Amino acid sequence: MIEAIAIGAVRGGTSLVFAGVGETIAERSGVINLGCEGSMLVGALAAYAVGIETGNPWLGALAGVVAGIALSLVHGLLVLVRGANQIATGLAVTFLGLGATALFGQSYVSQGVEPFDTWAIPGLSSIPFLGPVFFDHDPLTYLSFVLVPAAWWFLFRSGSGLKLRAAGERPGVLGTMGVDARVSRWIAIAVGGGLAGLGGAQLSTAFARTWSENMVAGRGFIAVALVIFAAWNPVGILVGAYLFSGAVALELELQARGTDVSIFLLAAVPYAVVIIVLSLLSRRRKFAAPESLSTVFDTSVVRV
Amino acid sequence: MNADGRQQVVDPVPDADAEDAVASDRGGSGGKRQMPDWATSAIRLVLVLVASLVVFGLLLVAKGANPIDGYRAMWESVTRDSTAFGDVLVRAVPYLLGALAVILPARAGLFNIGGEGQLVLGAIGAMWAADALNQSMSRPVTLVLMALAGMVFAAAWAAIAGVLKLVAGTNEAISTLLLNYLATLLLGWLVFEQWKDPGSTGFPRTRALTEVETLPVLFGRVHIGVPIAVLVAVGVWAFLKYTAWGFQLSVLGGNPEAARRAGFRTGMLSMGALAAGGAIAGLAGMLHLSGVESNLRPGIMVGYGFTAVLAAWMVRQSPIRAIVSSFLLAAIAIGGNGLKISEGLSAAAVNILMAILLLAVLGWGVRPGARNT
Amino acid sequence: MQRNHSRAAAVLIAAGLVLAACGSDDDASSEPVTSEGEAADDAASEGTTAAASGDACGTGATKVGFIYVGSKDDFGYNQAAYEAAQEMGEAVGVEVINAENVPETIDDAVPVMEDMIAQGATALFATSYGHFDAAVAVAADHPDVCVVHQGQFESSLDAPLDNLGTYFSSVFEPVYLAGIAAGTVSESGTLGYVYAFPIPQTLENINAFALGAQTVNPDAKVIAVATASWCDPGKQAQASQTLLDQGADVLTQHQDCTKTVIETAEAAGAYSVGYHYDASALAPEGWLTGSEWAWTDLYTDIVETMIAGEFVESEYNGDYRFGFRNVDAPFVAFAPSPFGPAVDEETQALITETYDKFFVDEDGDGIGDFSVFTGPLADRDGTERIPDGVTPSYEELDGFFSEPWFVAGVEGSLG
Repeated sequence: MIEAIAIGAVRGGTSLVFAGVGETIAERSGVINLGCEGSMLVGALAAYAVGIETGNPWLGALAGVVAGIALSLVHGLLVLVRGANQIATGLAVTFLGLGATALFGQSYVSQGVEPFDTWAIPGLSSIPFLGPVFFDHDPLTYLSFVLVPAAWWFLFRSGSGLKLRAAGERPGVLGTMGVDARVSRWIAIAVGGGLAGLGGAQLSTAFARTWSENMVAGRGFIAVALVIFAAWNPVGILVGAYLFSGAVALELELQARGTDVSIFLLAAVPYAVVIIVLSLLSRRRKFAAPESLSTVFDTSVVRV
Repeated sequence: MNADGRQQVVDPVPDADAEDAVASDRGGSGGKRQMPDWATSAIRLVLVLVASLVVFGLLLVAKGANPIDGYRAMWESVTRDSTAFGDVLVRAVPYLLGALAVILPARAGLFNIGGEGQLVLGAIGAMWAADALNQSMSRPVTLVLMALAGMVFAAAWAAIAGVLKLVAGTNEAISTLLLNYLATLLLGWLVFEQWKDPGSTGFPRTRALTEVETLPVLFGRVHIGVPIAVLVAVGVWAFLKYTAWGFQLSVLGGNPEAARRAGFRTGMLSMGALAAGGAIAGLAGMLHLSGVESNLRPGIMVGYGFTAVLAAWMVRQSPIRAIVSSFLLAAIAIGGNGLKISEGLSAAAVNILMAILLLAVLGWGVRPGARNT
Repeated sequence: MQRNHSRAAAVLIAAGLVLAACGSDDDASSEPVTSEGEAADDAASEGTTAAASGDACGTGATKVGFIYVGSKDDFGYNQAAYEAAQEMGEAVGVEVINAENVPETIDDAVPVMEDMIAQGATALFATSYGHFDAAVAVAADHPDVCVVHQGQFESSLDAPLDNLGTYFSSVFEPVYLAGIAAGTVSESGTLGYVYAFPIPQTLENINAFALGAQTVNPDAKVIAVATASWCDPGKQAQASQTLLDQGADVLTQHQDCTKTVIETAEAAGAYSVGYHYDASALAPEGWLTGSEWAWTDLYTDIVETMIAGEFVESEYNGDYRFGFRNVDAPFVAFAPSPFGPAVDEETQALITETYDKFFVDEDGDGIGDFSVFTGPLADRDGTERIPDGVTPSYEELDGFFSEPWFVAGVEGSLG
């Protein structure tokens, strides 16, 4: 049972890992993007559509990234250039993604995509427990394993990462050094959107293997919540995404075992877990927040 | 949009006095300029509206649909007769009250994205009260008690986010968002299991409300919730403008440090603002249940809470102008039926138009100097 | 997509891949499509006369509106209804207007139907279970418009309306037949069922599936998990994985969008049983069979009855519950899908044989005597649910499941 839940955690959590790491990078630069949900949606559709048109899921995934970036640039334009409120803009961007995918996705609902196959890694996949949990997945899942340490290294060990974090912590200081915080933020927003798009692509072409209207069903919002949970650290995102998705697997597992509890209460488990864990950690998390981000929630705008 | 001078300073409170600013604009405060403020604002808004329609039209073209036909279908869906117009009014009620549920906490610097859940809790509370009263009271008493119950349920729901913020420092935008999912599941639990109408052989809904539990109707399907919602909007405006609490909220939202130094009980203020917002959304849930749906059922008011956030931000959190924005969004939503039927397009496509409108207003709706920096 | 049902009205179609193919050939040749067109014309001209006298709803209708709760391309319930609606439109010669993704609330569904009426539709089909209250509201406001609803009972209303009708078929018999196929091919004896919500129709299907499987493998068990959503592909994928991890080697479902579960089963090398719609193309290896709606004939007859101005006195004005076993039913609206390669000849023969049993009517009441749910039938805890000797009629059956229960061999939460 534990193994099954662990497998479910990784399988279902991958799209959240991509989106969550992307959102982490964006927020590290001082920009919160609730358009994450929208970027996942356009990524899911673009990957699905291009996958169908070309027969190649990799081109599909690339299209998912591009679509995610494109939508996030709308957020960037509003927030960075026009100084609009981030949360309101992000929500509007999600609405835009929802509407656009409903409009353009209609004709793809009936079509089947050539999905990403499962690549069992020879040798590793036969290790007890770890093998099925980590080494028997679609290639995008392996990519997420690489992404997390790479994003961590980028943020905390590289020069560009330092600049990006400085944009989130002390944009003014960055300015005195002749570095424009906006450049970092533009890049961070785009990377965040691209990764959310990739998460959507994983959902539509590797995990659920279908396209339907609003199929992301709130996973982008969960990813945003996970960023706080993770204290703006990609490694924490991995943990949080697997925790959420593991809770979904647990809920289904409990159902399958005939637990004498309403399916609605069981279905609430993953959300309740996130809220509770978030609350338990929030005090500590407050200090981990990028400084200029803390102003975001005061219904204000990016302070450059 | 603001009165002279205000836009030059850092305005911590987004458009705090927008509606009286409109009034003073009319009084000619913009006289120093060649064109009065209200005129430039109006032109700007018209341009924003037109640009949004053009962008949406271009997307329809990209989809292979004729935008002229699309707009005509939308227009006819909204204007064809009094029934259609009534449907718009009825839909505007949860949008407007949901927007007020965003606006009130926003004054205190809090972002309530939990309208979805709070609307549902309002409906649940109203149903609970109706069951508890069991038609033992007269119609007005029943309806008032149902409304109160809905407001209390939803306020308590919103207060969860307030408590989490106060006790654990959990960000309220995130917690209210997550609470929406729980509210939906709670509704499912009630209508599929606990409160299921035994007479409906398993159909997932509660019993229908009876006469004494149903809102009086003005005409067609337009219930008295419509004027009530407008009154609440005016009430919120007056509260924010004329009461000490309203003032304290604005100070808290504008400069939390100053609010603390002034000795305001900031925690309780935040909490109160969230709960009050929740109560207003809860009223909307009750009005919608009692005035429209009659049975509590799954899928009730899905998406309305999010649309309400758009309605609030489209008018930069002005309670009075939210009346206009919610009406506009309701018209777009109902107009979407025309797109759906005549053009065979997904009705969700109108989300694009709503989103573009808000983005245009957020980005270009006001003079750069008057932006909320 | 290959569809195997007859366009001819008033003829009993045999079902099952082989049977259905023969059946439709016979029917099609005995009653060419053109004659239907003429019949429609006749009906329409009659309708015009009736309309002039201005009595019944829908008389002389030229435009028929259909609302669906989901996407018309969902490989499921809505696609089946949508395609049948278009086929009806062609057969009768009326314009069909459609609205997809109409939520099951008064607030959403009523304005859509009002809009259709404003566009000239005088006959409306509300095709989802939850559209019932909205359909009632619209029917009450528009006595000149016929409104029919798919799924609920008009008799549940205090005051039935002249211009309202409800219809449905039974779905669990073909699911039972599919259960036989699943029970035969399953090596683990564990079958997975992904469902949305515990409503009577779903519970009947799950139980029928288990009972069918247990006829060939008495130890067969069905694990049922709910997604609490009619269409959340991500949750479906996760639920499918949970079931596969539990050892299920056949997956089936009661969801509105069916692609994910079938694709997930296929990718895992498991078998799948379709529901609502023939999705065999999605799973060339693992597809067993399925049960699908074939509404065309019923829609056609309902609309022709309306056009002729005869709706009010017809059987459609009320609860039209024609079940799979209605021996002389004019329509079999639910049929097994084609068999996949994994179902051998022997099993096909067994299923065909069982299929035929449904239509043996020795007591002559018009309903086949063999029922999936003949008492005594106990739930998995041993409590008797359907007493000995009782065979619930189609009208009564939902009542037996208004409190959810599973037969022995079905695992999964019930709350």
